[in-house]
Amino acid sequence: MFKKWWKRAVKYRVAYLFILPTIIGMLILHVTPIFQGIYMSFLDLSQFTLNQYLAAPFVWFQNYYDVLINPNSPVRIGLFEAARNTAIYTIVVTFGTLWIGLLAALMVNREFKGKGLVRTLFLFPWVVPTYVTGILWGFMWQKEVGIINILLKDVFHIVAEKPFWLIGPNTLWAIIIPTIWRYWPFSMLLLLAGLQQIPEELYEAADIDGASPWRKFWMITWPLLKPVWAILILFGLIYNVYAFNIVIMMFGFGAGFPGEWGDLLMTNIFRNSFMQWNFGVGTAISVLLMITMIIIVNVWFIYYRKAEESTK
Amino acid sequence: MPYYLKKRIIDWIIHMFMFGLLAVTLLPIGWMIYSSLKENTDILIGKIPLSNARNNVYEIMLDGPDLWVLTSDGGINKWDKNTLKEEDHATAQTMTTHFLLDKQHVWVSSANKHLQKFDKDDLKKSKQFNLPLPDFDKAKVVNSTIVSRQGKIYFTMGYKGFEELLEFDPVQEKVTRRFSLKNKLSPTQIRSLLPYKDKMLVGLDKGLLKLDLKSGKVEAVYNLVQYLPIGIARLRAINGKIVVSGNTGAFLFDTEKGKVTKTLYTGNALGLRVHGDKVYVGTNRGFKLYDLKTGKMQDHAQLFRQVRVDGTVIKDSEFAPAEVATLAFNGDRLYLGSTYGRVSIYNVKDQRVVGEGAARMGHLVISWVNYIDMWRNVDFGLYLRNSFFICGLAMVFAMVFATLAAYALSRFDFPGSKSFSMIILATQMVPGIMFLIPTYSNFVKLTEMTGFPIKGTYYGIVFVYSAFFVPFSIWILRGFFAAIPVELEEAARIDGCSPLQVFWHVALPLAIPGIIATGIYVFLQAWDELVFAWVLTSADTMTIPVGIRNFVGNYQNRFDLIMAAATVATIPVMILFFMLQKYIVKGLTAGAVKG
Repeated sequence: MFKKWWKRAVKYRVAYLFILPTIIGMLILHVTPIFQGIYMSFLDLSQFTLNQYLAAPFVWFQNYYDVLINPNSPVRIGLFEAARNTAIYTIVVTFGTLWIGLLAALMVNREFKGKGLVRTLFLFPWVVPTYVTGILWGFMWQKEVGIINILLKDVFHIVAEKPFWLIGPNTLWAIIIPTIWRYWPFSMLLLLAGLQQIPEELYEAADIDGASPWRKFWMITWPLLKPVWAILILFGLIYNVYAFNIVIMMFGFGAGFPGEWGDLLMTNIFRNSFMQWNFGVGTAISVLLMITMIIIVNVWFIYYRKAEESTK
Repeated sequence: MPYYLKKRIIDWIIHMFMFGLLAVTLLPIGWMIYSSLKENTDILIGKIPLSNARNNVYEIMLDGPDLWVLTSDGGINKWDKNTLKEEDHATAQTMTTHFLLDKQHVWVSSANKHLQKFDKDDLKKSKQFNLPLPDFDKAKVVNSTIVSRQGKIYFTMGYKGFEELLEFDPVQEKVTRRFSLKNKLSPTQIRSLLPYKDKMLVGLDKGLLKLDLKSGKVEAVYNLVQYLPIGIARLRAINGKIVVSGNTGAFLFDTEKGKVTKTLYTGNALGLRVHGDKVYVGTNRGFKLYDLKTGKMQDHAQLFRQVRVDGTVIKDSEFAPAEVATLAFNGDRLYLGSTYGRVSIYNVKDQRVVGEGAARMGHLVISWVNYIDMWRNVDFGLYLRNSFFICGLAMVFAMVFATLAAYALSRFDFPGSKSFSMIILATQMVPGIMFLIPTYSNFVKLTEMTGFPIKGTYYGIVFVYSAFFVPFSIWILRGFFAAIPVELEEAARIDGCSPLQVFWHVALPLAIPGIIATGIYVFLQAWDELVFAWVLTSADTMTIPVGIRNFVGNYQNRFDLIMAAATVATIPVMILFFMLQKYIVKGLTAGAVKG
């Protein structure tokens, strides 16, 4: 067994040369920090102990206790709201980008004049940097001077009073919509590529059988697009749980607090870590979040495998 | 309904819906660029269209049968002097404009276009002269002034510390002399000019200066700050005396005695004209008329139509007092110019308005100056350079390492390859902040122990970015290498190539499109990265996102500048994307569909 393994290793020894730089880089920047981070989540790291963090007091599960159970701990203020917002935000954004992207992909996957240009123009929001997206929509959501309220009240007379977008429950929409706007073109791009791989004969056969467009979509398009939307959902979940830039830049242009309906877990951790220097708590929340994500991704994989097997 | 008709209608509806979606998608980007070109005051009152430049009448001049109405936005209106009908029109699109008429031309001086001339008979014929002036902050130039004397044009500009007078020869079309106006009151700001015998009288913000044009020497300076604390805006000569005026009043000044002999008016004197023994002072509410011989004073107020808040003139409204900025004489008929392009013909004897006209609206103001202001306020050039440098280097390093690793993973079934690719996938599931917190303290710690700075340096952030983007790049690139037929490489092996040679001469060239696509993707991602840069860069190595964050934090209500900064941050990547979009689209979709 070992001999075989060794033989293989010797045969492909050049491969180790190829991956060596990556391994070194990942050791320094990925592997070590993760273990360090887990270790730090057991330490009492505040602005006083940060400088000698190797000598910081080891407090076992104190940080986790503070984050999860301790009713009097200050770090829990706003944490539940952040988790709730993150959950809603992630789900709405992930499926919103998927559905709008699919809609757009179906629309541009037709023959018409200027097809290439329309596709390119659709992709533009995806090139706008996320911090610019935050700044731009933060400006557009302004109560008095924002274009959205001007359009809603002064131009189209849809509402009687200009609503607050960046204060109160509306905030959740104010962060969801720009994120969908920024990311759906990418979904469209991948789904369009997937659509173009579906053989035309399938639709022709369905036409002969007299299938309705609706039925054709659900029986042919959707199942055959599965590899694409599966990836999109997986990466959507991961990216959106860890979303940060758009939200942090939208409120006070990077200086403000998003409020109880706009705060996400990442902004919460960042505040705890780099503004209040509570690194222990910050890493503890990160570790918890990481574990949650690993569970979700595994559940997703199991479901995906099962679904894959059932179609075979 | 026939089948094909129904199909066409549905198709048309889908088409309209698609363009609707496209419009909604592009609206925010358009709005960003548009807002960056607007004036902030318009943004703050929620006004959507661009503003027109203010068309206040600055100068009215009679010239034969024509009336020249010259407005502050650089508008040149040639009217018939009796009917006030427009005969010709041009706009110089200038700031802080001043005008001069000679036999053949209208001369326009301004802060932004220096000196221009327009042909009187055909205003379309114009020419601009750039004068040898220092590079001003144009927003801080208060006024520009031109006067003519013996066929020469004298030009100067009101800018604190700029104390020069330029003599321009309109025939040779070049500057023939330069006079230094350095004086004992320096630094001063030049507000007005008046040729007087063989002297040039210069109105300063602190007083009056007498320049001898022959010798080019400053002869005398009179301090008039007690009368006109912010300067002499207008100068006229009458009966061997000088009338000086400004925002606190109009005064009679005796050049021989060197002092003010009489106060004519206290208040904001906007316009000043002399005619015979009479002095006309335009004020905020009409104009005053002084007879120097009799010492009598007359007040004329009901001169102009009223104006709405948005600047449009109300027709048939009662005549009301308004600013008189300029006037011209034609016997008893006075031509008066006011704000918002209003012009009245006023009969002084009968004390009534006998004719009226309106100058054209000012040109649309596109505030390119926002970009200049923004650039002046932040070191945006540095951020751009840093971003290009850091993201570019990170892209190159990430691509080199990722290509090697991806090739190894797709071609060699070496022990550990499975766990290696698992780890690569797993790193994508860890929040970036999880890497950031320990990395930050490691950097600080390392510097403390070795004295070798890492945080806030270029190599620190380049290393972090390169290493950070490698796993994802490997993941995409693996698909490209997997798509290259193995047979090609096997043939090369049989021909006696080493594994390295096969990689270099066979696999790599075939994977170049994929590498370019992935590289651009990495560049876009690095350009977009805020958190690591926020924590790990210093003032010198700051990238655009961090610079913008600091900048917009300090200019919360300057939406025009903020949008200008946002546009500048977006345009480079947008151009990059537009140029290379074929690669990106092909590359990313190929990787994703296969993955």
